[in-house]
Amino acid sequence: MVGLSLGEKHFIKGGIDQNIRSDGRKRDSYRPIFVETGIIPQANGSARVRMGATEVIASVKAELGRPSALHPDKGKVAIFVDCSAVAEPTFEGRGGEELSAELSVALERCLLGGTSGAGAGIDLTSLIVAEGKICWDLYIDSLVISSDGNLLDALAAAIKGHISNISVVRVMKCLYNFFECSCDGVLIKLLKAALANTAIPKVNISAAASGDEQPEVDISDEEFLQFDTSAVPVIITLTQVGRHYIVDATSEEESHMSSAVSISVNRKGHICGLTKRGGEGLDPSVVSDMISVAQHLSELLMSRLDSEISAAEAEGGDEEL
Amino acid sequence: MEFVNPEGLRLDGRRPMEMRQLRAEIGAVARADGSAVFEMGNTKVIAAVYGPREVQNKSQQSNDQALVRCEYTMANFSTGDRKRKPKGDRRSTEISLVIRQTMEACILTHLMPRSQIDIYVQVLQADGGTRSACINAATLALADAGIPMRDLVTSCSSGYLNSTPLLDLNYLEDSAGGPDVTVGFLPKLDRVTLLQMDAKLPVDIVENVMQLAIEGCKAIATYIREVLLENTKQLEYRRGL
Repeated sequence: MVGLSLGEKHFIKGGIDQNIRSDGRKRDSYRPIFVETGIIPQANGSARVRMGATEVIASVKAELGRPSALHPDKGKVAIFVDCSAVAEPTFEGRGGEELSAELSVALERCLLGGTSGAGAGIDLTSLIVAEGKICWDLYIDSLVISSDGNLLDALAAAIKGHISNISVVRVMKCLYNFFECSCDGVLIKLLKAALANTAIPKVNISAAASGDEQPEVDISDEEFLQFDTSAVPVIITLTQVGRHYIVDATSEEESHMSSAVSISVNRKGHICGLTKRGGEGLDPSVVSDMISVAQHLSELLMSRLDSEISAAEAEGGDEEL
Repeated sequence: MEFVNPEGLRLDGRRPMEMRQLRAEIGAVARADGSAVFEMGNTKVIAAVYGPREVQNKSQQSNDQALVRCEYTMANFSTGDRKRKPKGDRRSTEISLVIRQTMEACILTHLMPRSQIDIYVQVLQADGGTRSACINAATLALADAGIPMRDLVTSCSSGYLNSTPLLDLNYLEDSAGGPDVTVGFLPKLDRVTLLQMDAKLPVDIVENVMQLAIEGCKAIATYIREVLLENTKQLEYRRGL
């Protein structure tokens, strides 16, 4: 990105002080948000979010795996962010690794709760298939295609978009037929989901006789449960420039921020995670003020996102028919 | 396995000489100097061009021509099984090299000495023919960036299964074990810039299969030209001309 001159910097700072930003927005307004779901047919759920010039694609793939020994009743979710060189030439090769790692960890912190799994935005117990043996592993992969500031918010919106796009297994334990030869390993027949807004297919498993054996698993594409997305939080990033803070900063505005706080809030108004970036120290009262502003803004953002997501889903549904 | 059924239809219902549906969009990435999204059937690729700009690595700077660099990456979710390593694996490195050589041959690099042109190609969805889709997308992106070129480079693949030459293979046909011929072609100059083939093919059939791919390239060139003309009309309209 071309550097900004002193005059341009003063212009941006002055504008923010007077509540008029370079593109005419107020300090607390978001850029136009466009959401498209179901864009990757082979994934279980996918969404593409555009906030101004920032564009990200997120997709989720579900695979069967073993739950961890510490949490036998919970599935696993892994979040990966990849910054594509298409977005910035500096992301070429390994240049984008640092930013990708920072974003992945920040997202995991906001959406997955603490190390014990407490307070997670996504209900991991709904991902279990057979307690202690089989669970769904969700791999959430995000790709940053175009970066113009405010990546964290866009990524969180995309994840929310595609989580509402996927549906969860309804597991049915049918009567079991025990064949000795077929009990080593799990037999999985993955059939392609019929809908473009894909879903994690239904899993039929036969209950194993003894605790050690892996049950036989049969996945089909019939019934699904809708994932409860009301608990999935959104992330609001407040960037402090000068004496005021703005929401949804473009990369110009981000380039001379003093500090930024990203707060993830869920529908109930609870804070699910907090990340502060930037070298400048913040007065504690400013932080509490930021939190209350974020809570207020999150309601607006959530309703906007929900309407965009349902519009996208409806469009996707129409295309099917 | 039968790839061409007795009625002459392939697995996805196409005829042997039929290409997949093409779709192109210019200007997808606002920050890039030129960008394009190119779809061939289910294969979807986004290309961005940054340049000509100052050379980052002075040791690679050339005094009489521009430096062309290319990076090919596949998104994690692009293939059926989740890919672990998006970049740096051998296939990606090879394809980056292939695309770079193909584009370098047609860019008028002597007009932009001591500068660097970066071409980044990202595969969003892979269903066979990613190499070709990337070259087509890169051509569009370079045109969008206004970089002078000798001609449009188009690329298409063809194969030979069940004794029939097939045009534009998808992933299933590609992994069938038959030959896969990828051709890069300059339509106006009528020259082949890229030619790659794997597996075995009888010598008398090679000519046919290659000619089929060249026909595919010409069809893609017609489509790309239309897309560019439409884009220029849009730009004129926005400028009020």
